[in-house]
Amino acid sequence: MIRFLLRRLAFALLLVIAVSSAALLLTRLAPGDLTSELGPRARPEDVARARERFDLNRNPLAQLGGWAARAARLDFGDSFLYDRPVSPLIRRAAGNTAVLAATALAIATFLGIPLGVVTGSRSSALAACIRGASLVCLSIPPLLASLLLVFLASRTGWLPSGGMTSVAAIDAGWPAWLLDVARHLPLPALALALPLAATFERLQAQAMTETIHQPFVVAALARGVTWRRLLIDHAWRPSLRSMCAIYGLAIGALLSGSFVVEYVTAWPGLGRLMYEALRARDIYLVAGCAAMGGIFLAFGSLVSDLLLFAADPRVREGSGK
Amino acid sequence: MRSWKWEATAGRALLILVVFVAVAAPWLAPNPPDRQFDAYLYAPPTRIHGTYFYPLRLISRLERRFEEVRERPVSVRWFGAGHLVSSADPNDPLLLLGADSYGRDIFSRLVYGSRASLGLAALATLATMIFGAVVGGIAGYAGGAIDEILSRFSDFVLVLPAIYVVLALRAVMPLVLPPGQVFALLVGIFALVSWPVVARGVRGIIASEREREYVTAGRAAGASPMRLLAVHLMPAARGYLTTQATLLLPAFILAEATLSYVGLGFPTSVPTWGTMLYDASNVALVGEAPWMLAPAAAIFLVVLAVNLVVQGSGRPPLVR
Amino acid sequence: MKVRILGIAITAAILVVGFTFWRSTTNPNVGKSANFAAAQHRGGQIVTSGRAAPRTFNRLLGQDQLSFVLGVVTQGHLVRVNYETFEVEPWLAEKWDTSPDGLTYTFHLRQGLTWSDGVPFTADDVVFTLQAIFDPKTGSYISDVLTVGGKPITADAPDPSTVVVHFPAPSGPGVRLLETLWVLPKHKLEAALKAGTLAQAWSTDTPPSEMAFMGPFVIKEYVPNQRIILDRNPHYWRKAADGTPLPYVDRIVYEIIPDQDAELLRLQAGEIDLTQSELRPDDYVPAKRAEDQGKLKVTEIGLSPMADAFWFNLKPEAWKSDARFAFVQKKEFRQAISYAVDREKFAENVYLGAAVPIWGPVTPGNTQWFWPDLPRYTHDVNKAKDILKSIGLEDRNGNGIVEDAQGHEARFTVVTQRGVGWYERGLAELRSQLAPIGIALEPATIENATLNQRLVKSDYEAMYMRFGTTDLDPASELDMWLTTGDAHFWHMGDTRPEAWETQIDALMKQNIATADQGRRKEQFKQVQRIFSDNLPVLYFVAPRMYYAYNVRVEGVKPSVLRPVALWNADMLSVR
Repeated sequence: MIRFLLRRLAFALLLVIAVSSAALLLTRLAPGDLTSELGPRARPEDVARARERFDLNRNPLAQLGGWAARAARLDFGDSFLYDRPVSPLIRRAAGNTAVLAATALAIATFLGIPLGVVTGSRSSALAACIRGASLVCLSIPPLLASLLLVFLASRTGWLPSGGMTSVAAIDAGWPAWLLDVARHLPLPALALALPLAATFERLQAQAMTETIHQPFVVAALARGVTWRRLLIDHAWRPSLRSMCAIYGLAIGALLSGSFVVEYVTAWPGLGRLMYEALRARDIYLVAGCAAMGGIFLAFGSLVSDLLLFAADPRVREGSGK
Repeated sequence: MRSWKWEATAGRALLILVVFVAVAAPWLAPNPPDRQFDAYLYAPPTRIHGTYFYPLRLISRLERRFEEVRERPVSVRWFGAGHLVSSADPNDPLLLLGADSYGRDIFSRLVYGSRASLGLAALATLATMIFGAVVGGIAGYAGGAIDEILSRFSDFVLVLPAIYVVLALRAVMPLVLPPGQVFALLVGIFALVSWPVVARGVRGIIASEREREYVTAGRAAGASPMRLLAVHLMPAARGYLTTQATLLLPAFILAEATLSYVGLGFPTSVPTWGTMLYDASNVALVGEAPWMLAPAAAIFLVVLAVNLVVQGSGRPPLVR
Repeated sequence: MKVRILGIAITAAILVVGFTFWRSTTNPNVGKSANFAAAQHRGGQIVTSGRAAPRTFNRLLGQDQLSFVLGVVTQGHLVRVNYETFEVEPWLAEKWDTSPDGLTYTFHLRQGLTWSDGVPFTADDVVFTLQAIFDPKTGSYISDVLTVGGKPITADAPDPSTVVVHFPAPSGPGVRLLETLWVLPKHKLEAALKAGTLAQAWSTDTPPSEMAFMGPFVIKEYVPNQRIILDRNPHYWRKAADGTPLPYVDRIVYEIIPDQDAELLRLQAGEIDLTQSELRPDDYVPAKRAEDQGKLKVTEIGLSPMADAFWFNLKPEAWKSDARFAFVQKKEFRQAISYAVDREKFAENVYLGAAVPIWGPVTPGNTQWFWPDLPRYTHDVNKAKDILKSIGLEDRNGNGIVEDAQGHEARFTVVTQRGVGWYERGLAELRSQLAPIGIALEPATIENATLNQRLVKSDYEAMYMRFGTTDLDPASELDMWLTTGDAHFWHMGDTRPEAWETQIDALMKQNIATADQGRRKEQFKQVQRIFSDNLPVLYFVAPRMYYAYNVRVEGVKPSVLRPVALWNADMLSVR
């Protein structure tokens, strides 16, 4: 078990390095560079100075090498856009994204999985309604979902239509701040969670139906196991294994999907930061954001593996050898 | 589960309708998709009074005020001039869903746009499924080092900032490409970026499936790995693949929208649902002209149809 | 199972109801009646917004729009240009005397001026700021502006309340140039200048306590990517006519909203009070609707002093051996295009009618420098065709596109910035208007970063976009006019100027060295005439600008230059 974990951690590290290096190289190779931010009327001296400061005069591999050497000492370079080291920027944005993603994941899980168990195990009017709602949610693209929610919010005034905090809570102390964040959270979280909840519901329902018709479940039912116990012990737990495989992916998907939602709802998260960095070719910020994204994904896949490990005894035995 | 049959029927009917719309676009669209009616910028949908309608007179462009010209009704022509329905006077257009910010007929563009959007999404889905299933299947079945390498590689592709891969790829291409080439390019890029999702799921299923008795028995009986994989293991992933297809198809329709929005998809002059949705991205504006959301509704309908078909098609293959 | 679902549903319902209730109790701005008669109210806050985040708080370095806004709101200068009248006004200097030769200005500072931290403001601060600007280690862009006749402007301080500024040569804009001299606190920055680290000083993570300001507001806090909080400067010098210490509002919050659509939505929802930009033509209707509901006020500002430009890349090196350059570089070719464009129709289709035709870079919105008698190219498709024929371009193969005798077609890729609706529509309109004379344009909308790089490296065939300006005086656009300028965008790095270009160079150089405004106007008319005859850049319409802001804000005097409302930040108040 520990060896398994260590191996996964090593891979995660490799992944993060590979991803951030690739991001850095791609940013270098993509047309345009960060000096464009200075505008078409920038003075050549300013452009030259910026290019010098961000190693854009060196060849891409040398730049990558230099950056990697500094990154090993935990110096991830400066952001050109914000004129400060990238680490605090990324930490802050990643924290915001984590809050958003965790909320969305929680909503999706607590909505999607139980509903999936219901719809996957038997047919009833309730299940039909849930299926219908799920189909609708699944058919609304996230970009559209966030746009519609923002539109709704701005029309009804029920929730703030964007941002993470409002100006009213600036000096009001942390309880007010927390409440303020809680008021801003539902909109982007729902926009992210609804399609995901529908995905969970669908996958869980699929897995449930598949498992329920397995011979061992049918046999259990024949042995006189109650429907409820059967559902939980025999059908639900085994059906989780395909859910677990998708769970880690969901974290990655949340991260990448969050960029549109963060952009539309002005949530100051990693997706938005990375999007801005990409657009401005803010090279070290891009690399840092990509690294952070890699960490999120590695974490997601680790969680997924652990869940798979816990849920499916066969895999457990298989890797225990 | 019998009660879901109607879903499949409804879904199929919807899909057939959409495919018909795409095929018969020139006949169904009352106006050419690129024709700009200068006096009809942001015009509302034409109100049809039975067999005729009143053309609009522009009062204020900035305020988007129009007035029906009551004195001069124009008749609605059925099955004429190669169109299902059109205006008898080509200068007074029949705008079933209003006009966009260029004065182009939204309905006609929607109908023509279905060709690019659906074709692209369908092809990209197919490509992704094949590639993902092959890689995932091999990884799941082979296990060990091959599995590690393939899985890590797919992890890697998955984390790459997709938009940047696209950007770098696009950068080496000429600035302006004919729509046909953009189409092929997008199919390739979508498949390239999204196969890992399929591969990972398939790998997970195959990996746990191969531990089961019948596979072990098959191996012992000397069945070739390829045969085992294709005939015995892949069917286990069919349910997953179908589910993934329903997730990928809408994702690709939206991806086209997103890319067109970023300026890397189709040029705005080409009617696709993506380029049209971009026009509707100004939410404040949409409040004044809700018909601009027509492409969103179209996307929703297609995705819903796909979902209905999959949901209604009955039980997962394993049990059947 | 059903019980659980029911539980979830009830929880959700409670949450929704709770939020609704909460929202209705926490919205303080609803239902307050208008009261125009009363004096402007002191206190409260204004929420404003913009798309960019600041890169630096160092006014000597920040060249972007937001830096300019922050400068206006937090910093001071000896004189300011009033954005309503475009006249120079006394600011930190109460009055000034001009020497007979026009080269020396003696500024008398107001009494009792202090920085926001309470330290007295003296003439030494001005002298220090000039030093800082011209220190090569600072690398300030302002040094270009304050260089006259190749030499820097200098200043000395005979006593703490007097500054004597010496111009090394006669200057056209004269005292107007000193608007860009945003004074810095010597007591805070002297050490940095001596250490040669002024370029790193006052970055966006400098604690606000280390900065001092002369403007109506001070930077209180910057939350990266979210907002900047600007609080009242308790030591601000200006008072309203009735003696009320300014500024009226206690706080300005600058929200960073990257998406203009989202900004409009939040303006409508009352979450922000005013923006830094005019309404886009398509946004007029939703804004007007909000005005009908009593939420916003929509005003017409006037004609924009800036217009969208269309030009071909005139740098021969960029075309290499491309045969099309042979006709692109002929002025007749560009004149034919100008004749072919129906500007009235262009205004209607691109700006929804809210624009007027123009024939040169200076629009009627620039009330001081516009020349109404500039020769015009009246719409005439046949004339355009004849001109094309006269330079050997006609449709020989009948495909609708003109070509030269060797068969090189007049087909061009035109680059524009994506995401700007009227650029895309303008280009589409241009494309359809040029089709009848056989010139084919292929629009390519690309990202800003790529666009800028292509522009700087002259890697494009033709371009369509707009350049911003912060002043109406042509002297501020010298980098565009001069062939040696960094923003001579149609021919970057022009080493072999043609005769007419040399003429413009000479006239503009004279212009900035002439103090007599009447003569300057005559010279600039000539420049406009030469420019519109050779048409290196084509202009079609000048948009009419509309501005929307929340009805609770009073004292807004929208300007055709950005920042539309905040230039007057100390006079804004809320009900």
